[in-house]
Amino acid sequence: MALRLYAPATTETVLESILAEPSLARGVVHHETIAARPPTFAPFPDWLGPGIRQGLAGRGIDQLYVHQAEAIGAVHAGEDVVVVTPTASGKSLCYTIPILQAIADDPAARALLLFPTKALGQDQVAEMSELARASALDIRAATYDGDTPAPIRHAIRTAGQIVVSNPDMLHSAILPHHTKWYQLFEQLRVIVIDELHTYRGVFGSHVANVVRRLLRICAHYGSHPVIVCCSATIGNPAELASTLTGRPARLVDRNGAPSGERHVLLVDPPILDRSTGARGSALTLANRWALPFLRAGRQTIVFGRARTAVEILLTGLREALREGFGPRSRIRGYRGGYLPTERRSIERGLRDGEVLGVVATNALELGVDIGRLDAAILAGYPGSIAATWQQIGRAGRRLETSAAVLVASQSPVDQYVIHHPEFLFGGRPEEARLDPDNLHVLLAHLRAAAFELPFEPGQRWGPLPADDLLAFLAEEGHVRQAADGRWYWSSENFPASEISLRVAAPENVVIVDTTPDRPRVLGEVDLFSAQVLVHERAIYIHESMQYYVDRLDWGEKKAYVHKVDVDHYTYANRAVTLKPLDVFGEAPATGGRRLHGEVMVASLVTLFKKLKFGTDENVGWGPIDLPELELQTTAYWLTAETTSGGWRRADLDVALLGAGRAIQTVAAVLLMVDPRDLGLVAQVRSPHQEHPTIYLYEAVPGGIGLSERLWDRHDELVTAADDLIAACTCDAGCPACTGPRLEPEVDAKALSRRLLAGLRP
Amino acid sequence: MTAAALPAIGDERERLLRRIADLRARHASVGMPGPAAVSAAAPAGLIDLGRRRAARYAEALATAVDGDVVETPRGRVVRVDRPSIAMAVDRSALASLPGQPPPDVPLVCLDTETTGLGTGTGTVAFLVGLGWWSGDRFRQAQLVLPDHADEPALLEAVRSALPDRAWLVTYNGRGFDWPLLVTRFRLGLSAPPALGGHLDLLPVVRALFRHRLTDARLRTVEAELLRLGRVGDVDGWEIPARYLGFLRDGNAGGLVEVIRHNHEDVRTLARLLVHLSTGLAARSRSPFVDPRDLAALGRALARAGRLDEAISCLEDAAAGIGAVRDERTPSAARPAAPAEPWWSPRVAADIGGPPRPTATSEDPARRGATAWTADRVDRERARVLRQAGRFAESAAAWRGVALAGGRAGALAWIEVAKLEEHRLRDPAAALEAVERAVAAGALLRARGLPIRGLDQDAARRRRRLLARLERRRLRGARPRGVADC
Repeated sequence: MALRLYAPATTETVLESILAEPSLARGVVHHETIAARPPTFAPFPDWLGPGIRQGLAGRGIDQLYVHQAEAIGAVHAGEDVVVVTPTASGKSLCYTIPILQAIADDPAARALLLFPTKALGQDQVAEMSELARASALDIRAATYDGDTPAPIRHAIRTAGQIVVSNPDMLHSAILPHHTKWYQLFEQLRVIVIDELHTYRGVFGSHVANVVRRLLRICAHYGSHPVIVCCSATIGNPAELASTLTGRPARLVDRNGAPSGERHVLLVDPPILDRSTGARGSALTLANRWALPFLRAGRQTIVFGRARTAVEILLTGLREALREGFGPRSRIRGYRGGYLPTERRSIERGLRDGEVLGVVATNALELGVDIGRLDAAILAGYPGSIAATWQQIGRAGRRLETSAAVLVASQSPVDQYVIHHPEFLFGGRPEEARLDPDNLHVLLAHLRAAAFELPFEPGQRWGPLPADDLLAFLAEEGHVRQAADGRWYWSSENFPASEISLRVAAPENVVIVDTTPDRPRVLGEVDLFSAQVLVHERAIYIHESMQYYVDRLDWGEKKAYVHKVDVDHYTYANRAVTLKPLDVFGEAPATGGRRLHGEVMVASLVTLFKKLKFGTDENVGWGPIDLPELELQTTAYWLTAETTSGGWRRADLDVALLGAGRAIQTVAAVLLMVDPRDLGLVAQVRSPHQEHPTIYLYEAVPGGIGLSERLWDRHDELVTAADDLIAACTCDAGCPACTGPRLEPEVDAKALSRRLLAGLRP
Repeated sequence: MTAAALPAIGDERERLLRRIADLRARHASVGMPGPAAVSAAAPAGLIDLGRRRAARYAEALATAVDGDVVETPRGRVVRVDRPSIAMAVDRSALASLPGQPPPDVPLVCLDTETTGLGTGTGTVAFLVGLGWWSGDRFRQAQLVLPDHADEPALLEAVRSALPDRAWLVTYNGRGFDWPLLVTRFRLGLSAPPALGGHLDLLPVVRALFRHRLTDARLRTVEAELLRLGRVGDVDGWEIPARYLGFLRDGNAGGLVEVIRHNHEDVRTLARLLVHLSTGLAARSRSPFVDPRDLAALGRALARAGRLDEAISCLEDAAAGIGAVRDERTPSAARPAAPAEPWWSPRVAADIGGPPRPTATSEDPARRGATAWTADRVDRERARVLRQAGRFAESAAAWRGVALAGGRAGALAWIEVAKLEEHRLRDPAAALEAVERAVAAGALLRARGLPIRGLDQDAARRRRRLLARLERRRLRGARPRGVADC
């Protein structure tokens, strides 16, 4: 019996046997088969030197895939490109080859590679150095990041031909000291921005401004580097690249890499309770799907969404495999917090087959090279279609069949995604948005830019000449216009140190953990979130540990917490008032109007509730004494004009909130953002609109351009929201569609659908 | 190019201006009156206005600091010259010290005042103080920047003040002043002037006088080493604000003290060279030279590989310290030291700034390591003797140290053992030294001060030495010829 259980089998056989097992097959809501694809090759370009040809041949590469050839040709010709192809399609060669050739032709040439994380940069240096050695080229490539020891920093500055860094380091250490890097900037030929799709939202808006500063410095030294962006599949790669760099880029997306047949299955855990919509655990189900593959000796990766999920999945798998004397020691975990050497050994093990299964967080989602596996099981929707495809892409042999399984959790977004397979397979992944002209971000980086180089009068910063903005900064004494009309930095401060690329608001509340003997900083939250997350007596959850907030020092912007283990969490009621300031766009829509523009959101938090885990039962409450906060941001809103007659006010309240909640969920899916990035306000009698209105505002000061996109896609949003509520299996509204039910006797589902019916195009 | 010329972005500019106005309203509490909002539409007229204002400010600055406005094609500089003074430096004596410039190169003392402490590109050196010798006369000039736009003129003036092959003399200039000036040159896309060399006096002062200074700030060095005091000096951290204030309102009154401060700093560089060349370079046992300085010099010479000079220097120091030992014990001569000495790598470099809180507790062990006691000089001498290959003398010196007893004594016996075994090839003497080390260690342990690893080390040596003595005894017992076959 045991022997048969562990008999090696092909992926197809395993899949067939699983689908023959009713308890598992029942949950499959969609099964998509993606046909195998042969490779399309292109020859090496003529200009490629014999050395690099030889180096490539030594690694088994005698010709290029078409996308590689196209990108390499464009870079060589000085054209910006953005390369968009799936995981493990040889993207890095697209820039490695032209860079190595450029340096082989002229040793003075330099290249700058930016990766969003340090680990990716270090991998890339190792890979480039290997190819350079194989090509008999003497090339000095090095990472320059926070871990680079001081003594070798000088050597990298003066002699590093390929400098690998990250946007944060570029922002805070390289650009403000660009004169020490003049050899790099004078001869910079290629800038690589890898993992482009990670530069979205506030982070992306910051990085776009860092790129502006970078290009300004290059222009100062007289260099005109080509920019190569590489991205995972997203809806708008070319647009994202051109927003990020401020220059148009040629899109290279004709994938030439081969792939075998691939099965993608969407799986829903069984419903346990119809009235609340509660479902079985996604983690347990994911393990049940993973086990048959592992037992058949197929290399399998299981993705969990958080560290704890990884540990739970890993324990479960090992436990199950031990019962049947399976290959449990060949199952490894992989997540943030593991040591780099440990990670490297797991990656190597996956490549050479020594490791059979791995349970990972999205730490493995980015470009880490682990080769290709047979099966990928996703325990929960990773939050975006692009990320889903990245994780699915981990399974996919060049010739053999592979399988990917997405097991939904009961969160509304997960449920929406698996019940609308067209979102995953419809060929329209989300768009990544960023707004380089967010006034707050723009001003912050303008200060840093003025520190780096004086501004000429009339010189542009973003869309406009910078003079108006500089005049504003001059009033605060940061810059001054000198006798030659230029604007010079005139302050003792170091502006780059005041900007963190990863958060929007300049002011943050620092969370201090007082549990250990030496208090340590746990993290930071912006003021707006601090109101609801770290008010006094709140339970703050960080990496699935619970912390009790002892004291919130609003003046010092510090929250003091200590670790606890309780059965409840806290939920703070935010009373939000919203006032439109300026309308940027307005158009009629079915049943009303759609608008977007600038708004002022005032947020007051007055009390919090204690809710039991699992049941969300209210077990107590307390007051919160914090000042009101104002947030000036952008918003999208819609009014219901023709439909508002004949409604009872209380019903309309419920309907607006329910429909708004559904639109918010759908918007988060469509725009590839965290649902918390969008705030919801519903007003029955809007003091500003006269009609019932639903506002979705951006939770970031100034916004990052989400509102305008929502405005553009209004019809889609309303339709999808209606579908979401209709398709939900609950009786009268649940957290997955119309939000938590406030009054049990009210049918939020019916009311919301009635409202949306009138708005649906 | 102006915004008005770009109608396509008119709307956007409108919106931007409105949002800025909004921000302004909300920042109103900051409340700096500032200039009226500048419109980019008419830069030409404004620049003209700015030029006239800059000319006025430059005149005001020159008047306030008693200097002249020098007009050049690349901008204006305010130059302050002072009469030269007699200050002779014995260059060949100076050159005899380790790390000092050769006697025939020109020296230029340099000190800058800046708009900030960082060396990023936004920090400007607005005042460059220079000093150089013509014969025995020391001359000084100061170059002051009247406006950001005039920086090219200032930098050209600095360049022409540095003759070919010149050595720069600075205080912390390797880490700060010179990199900052290099940044300024590079920012203007010109290569920085080539230097013949750079004598940064900060590490020199640290190496030679650490043992009797409370910190390494130039003003402390002036007070404690040169015995000079300043009256009405401006604190370093106030300087940027004074200059930025002048740029805003043209009032140069606050800069007068800054100019004097910089002038004194540059002169002190020259004084330090005089101090080095007349005092230590003579290396005599003159009553004017602190023997502990001689000891530090001996160490510095040894590090530079000049071992024989180092030894004689240490011998002079030992004699000097022996003579004054009774009346001047180091602990009595020094003020209470902070918990961490200022030269420790754990302490942030103190090069000025607002006063910091000082620790009160003392760490006698640490202070003991820096103070040049007679014992420490003896140990240093023994070490350098071995380095110089004078093994017998070194062994004798270590025996001298060992006689003083204590922890250092026990360790000295180990040194003797090493020398006797490996260099002097006398296993019997080595064995005796090992036994003495063990005995000294036992005494210490009885007093609750064990030396970690001493016994294991001694045991290893003892085993090896006994084996060697045994072999030698056996070889000695047999006729040589027999052993050969």
